[in-house]
Amino acid sequence: MAKARLRPQTEGYLLLAPALAVYFLFAVYPMLDVIRMSFSSWNGLDADSSFVGLDNFRAVLTTDPVFWGALLNTIWWTALAVTLPNLVAFGLALALNQNLPGRSALRVVFYLPVIIASIAVATIWKWMYDPFFGLFSNLLTEWGWQGLVADWLGDRRIALWSVFVAHLWQSVGFSMVLFLAGLQGVSATLIEAARIDGAGRWRVFRHVTLPALKPTIAIVFVLSVINSLKAFDIVYGMTGGGPAQSTQMLAMWAYTQSMQLGDFGKGAAISVILLAVTLIVVIPYLKWTMGQSEADR
Amino acid sequence: MKTHALASLAAAAVLSTALSGGAMAANLKLWTLSFDNPTVVAAWNDIIKSFEEKNPGTTVSMENRSTDEHKAALRVAARSDQGPDIYFMWSGLGLGGEFVNAGLSKPLDAYYAEYKWDDRLTPTSVAASKAYAGGRHGVPYTFHGEALYYNKALFEKAGITAPPASWDELKADARKLKDAGIPAITFGGTVNWHLMRLMDAILEAKCGADKHDALKAMTADWATEACAADSFKELRDWSETYILSPFMGIDQAQSFNLFLAGRAAMMLEGDWLVGQLRDADRLADYDLFPIPTGTDRLYSFSEYYYVSARSKAPDEAAKFLDYLLSDEVQQKYLGTFGSISVNADVKYDKVNPLDQRWLDIFAKYKATYINGDQAFPLDVTTEYFRVINEVASGNLAPQDGGKTLATFIANHK
Repeated sequence: MAKARLRPQTEGYLLLAPALAVYFLFAVYPMLDVIRMSFSSWNGLDADSSFVGLDNFRAVLTTDPVFWGALLNTIWWTALAVTLPNLVAFGLALALNQNLPGRSALRVVFYLPVIIASIAVATIWKWMYDPFFGLFSNLLTEWGWQGLVADWLGDRRIALWSVFVAHLWQSVGFSMVLFLAGLQGVSATLIEAARIDGAGRWRVFRHVTLPALKPTIAIVFVLSVINSLKAFDIVYGMTGGGPAQSTQMLAMWAYTQSMQLGDFGKGAAISVILLAVTLIVVIPYLKWTMGQSEADR
Repeated sequence: MKTHALASLAAAAVLSTALSGGAMAANLKLWTLSFDNPTVVAAWNDIIKSFEEKNPGTTVSMENRSTDEHKAALRVAARSDQGPDIYFMWSGLGLGGEFVNAGLSKPLDAYYAEYKWDDRLTPTSVAASKAYAGGRHGVPYTFHGEALYYNKALFEKAGITAPPASWDELKADARKLKDAGIPAITFGGTVNWHLMRLMDAILEAKCGADKHDALKAMTADWATEACAADSFKELRDWSETYILSPFMGIDQAQSFNLFLAGRAAMMLEGDWLVGQLRDADRLADYDLFPIPTGTDRLYSFSEYYYVSARSKAPDEAAKFLDYLLSDEVQQKYLGTFGSISVNADVKYDKVNPLDQRWLDIFAKYKATYINGDQAFPLDVTTEYFRVINEVASGNLAPQDGGKTLATFIANHK
């Protein structure tokens, strides 16, 4: 009797089915439900929600005193989080890709903050920022620079950036590891060939290393953008959005509206806006990098 | 025939037991906050154990969650039959009222009459149960007063010989402290409710009881009431001149450490601070006085337990709450849940001077005003916090504070 054989495509779909089912149940369905909820009014207590059309979006965009500040903070945070930590991470990766004594230990040291829970990082940095007993204030005082002691987390002009420094400390290691992996995938033969052709260090870096790192840079960029746009835990842990909501972020404001204030419709509307912002940033970049890859072939 | 007779006998026995009311049986689910203090955990375990012993067949299972998780769980439970029989929530229209208005709480008028809670519990602690439309909701678990604690040595250093009796005297004392190089008071700004206490007290002093209540009930206009603008101006004056600075980047625990370190002379805190001062072995260094607002009302709030409207065993739930509030339990665990008991018949022996101050205060005041975050709906509370912080940190002109809040209230659903 001949054995019934499944077509490879069918086999593939069968193997994917459990993962797809879980993904649809826990990712796609909630996402669609959030979109539905953004057009509804629901306090999380009543049995039913009611359709309110665009009211939630109108309220968020016109009467919410915090939304625009949170959006601006999120944009600034993302712009900085995509550039500064990644530049530092890239520099570290280049350095730690050299034959340095103790480089493995150094890689561990720089990666270590990544494995610390964000809420723990927030607690540590909050203590260091204490204006009376904190590390920074005490060091500055000891060095005679009392004038530089600031209310790091209480002054709205610097609070967000104080939190960002903690984020930078925590996130650099993650990008560094990705860049290191990318650097180790750069063909030594190509580098050698370029050198034989007379290329200096800069030209090798510019014309061999950097193009080879394009896929890694794209991944780091996309991950940084997504992680930055949904920035939550470290800000929540360090300032809770304060002072006076001046460090509020979109993801945290959506959570606050839904889970703390019980306005699930408004929270969902903010989440949908955040999703739209994310797609507006990420899709063109991915399209561009994919186009570049095609052109390189 | 014999089988039929036996079955009838058994049914009669069950019916008679049920009618006698002597043996109620239920599995009560109690949802409350997580307790940090092991003494409180041990007390709760003992209370539940002894209740179960006195009521065979009835069990009580306690589920503890953090504040946000507790609120989220209650939201889920509101539409489910798997929710609690008894749940914890603060009193007041803001926090407690949200769940009461959503129909999660069962009116307890019948149980108030049956167990004579109005006679046995302190009037100030049960007052909040009458604040809701459609009946009495919840029973008090703790009742907390808030007052101004002060460092006796720093007051003496500034030449202050007696606690102030009016807001003007308080302000004059704050000036004396400042002139002596001592920050008058400390607050932690990151937890919004800490600085809110100062604003609540100022509103009470500047607006008087009726207008303050009307502003909190949102029936008076924050934009046009002159006392609201005066209050924000007063808040700005305090934050600029008398509060230990910087304060927006620290929380109440850091603020307390500064108070202990003698960096500021006063702290606006509740009766629970006596325990913290006792733990720090500093009781002798401090004293306290009621906030001199001139309205003869005590700044206070209550924590309540509510019976769920979905409970299948409300009688047993009420019976458990009655046991929790009984003379026996309240006397045995006096000081465990708060400085004072909500039970009016509890006897206080060997109280320290600060606890005695509180007992005197609780005995003196017949009326109360509650914290802003318990008076307002949740979203208005969030805006109230924001406006207070903006004014206190100088980013919003005091005269615009009331208008900003009024605009939000006008847009409030």
